Amino acid sequence: MSLPAILLVLFALLLVGLLAWALRQPSHAIRPDLDVFDALRQSRHSARMSHVLQALQPEDTEYLRESGQVALMQTLRRQRRRIALGYLDQLQEEFEMLLEISRVLAVMSPEVIGMEEMERWKLSLTFAAACAFLRWKLRLGLQPFSGFTLLSNMAADITRQLDATTTRIAEVAVRGSEHASPGHKNIDGL
Amino acid sequence: MVEPLQLQTAAWALTTALELALFVLFVRRKLGRTYPAFFAYLVSVILQSMAVAALYRTPNLNKLTFWLIAWGTQGVVVLMRSLTVVELSRRVLRRYIGIWALARRLFLGVAAVVIAYDLALSKGDWQWMILNGVRGLELAMAAVIVTMLLFARYYRAPVNPLQRALAVGLCLYSAFYVINYSVLERILQQFAVLWNFLGMFAFIASLLVWINGANLYVEAEEVAAPPAIPAELYGKLSSEVNSRLILLNRQLIQFLRLEDRSQ
Repeated sequence: MSLPAILLVLFALLLVGLLAWALRQPSHAIRPDLDVFDALRQSRHSARMSHVLQALQPEDTEYLRESGQVALMQTLRRQRRRIALGYLDQLQEEFEMLLEISRVLAVMSPEVIGMEEMERWKLSLTFAAACAFLRWKLRLGLQPFSGFTLLSNMAADITRQLDATTTRIAEVAVRGSEHASPGHKNIDGL
Repeated sequence: MVEPLQLQTAAWALTTALELALFVLFVRRKLGRTYPAFFAYLVSVILQSMAVAALYRTPNLNKLTFWLIAWGTQGVVVLMRSLTVVELSRRVLRRYIGIWALARRLFLGVAAVVIAYDLALSKGDWQWMILNGVRGLELAMAAVIVTMLLFARYYRAPVNPLQRALAVGLCLYSAFYVINYSVLERILQQFAVLWNFLGMFAFIASLLVWINGANLYVEAEEVAAPPAIPAELYGKLSSEVNSRLILLNRQLIQFLRLEDRSQ
């Protein structure tokens, strides 16, 4: 059998696998009552990144080694890793909420931008992979942490950008609600 | 011991009986109005069975005529099945105007690429072109059904049990056809009767899935279309949400780098 024919067969098998996956119940509950603008107003865990990074700084625990309390230092670092894991969960939750919002928007729009949807799909794949990878690294208890100061500053910068973006979203939403045509059925009172 | 030919005849009889049972079920439940393309496909399959049975009973029929009639009817059946796939996708996604418009373009792209790839394997030989064209169509149908179900899953579009059954039956049959045609019939010609039987078995499985789906069908009120927002609002909000997703992603990647540096 030729290579192109083998590829066709593999593609057919892949389709059967994808069919089985697509028919599974989604792992996350559907949120039919999701209020887009209310969800966008909710507190953002990403805003706390600089605090989490600060807590993970090695300098925060290094003095315990110097005073001979290595066991305590290790306990503290373990606890902080647990906090980082919790933070990661919240980050993922926020990401999924944004995806849910974007889905609701796409479903309600009479016109959907393919590139935007594709971009979001790629982002969700990257995020899911990076999240799983990082979670395992933290669970395996790899030794942190050095070179935090620079990254902490970068994180603060991203948090500022996130805030600005969220503010813009809120502004656009408010403008949209003001300009929504009377003939349209609107979302949540908009 | 049962002869392979007797087994095949029995499978043929069973297939026809199941086709007729599904037909009766569709008529009794008035599903023909809701799924006219599928109903037409079912009728074409029954007519094809009758036509082929008549051909086998016609003496002195030359091989080419037989081949042309058999593949001609097969062409009609495959065309009807393609229309069924379009109908099914439309019924699942049509409530979401924007999503349906995007999905339509994607389905056309997927189908065109798959069919073009398969036709390219024929290298200009018209006989192979017909056979490969049918295989390409079958694969394209399976690809479109899977893409439609992935869309429905991603955008949380409801798919009722009958729609799921139709999708599963159509997709599995098409995928099996491609595998059967590509691997089994070409490599293992000596087992042609067995592979024919397996092909029929795949269709019997599809028929059973459809019958089960039609049995489970409950006439429910159409799910209302979601409330609409202006396209411009979607465009603006969507790109802003994407920016926020990108930033969150970047934040996560920072975390990863952080871990790497700490090694």
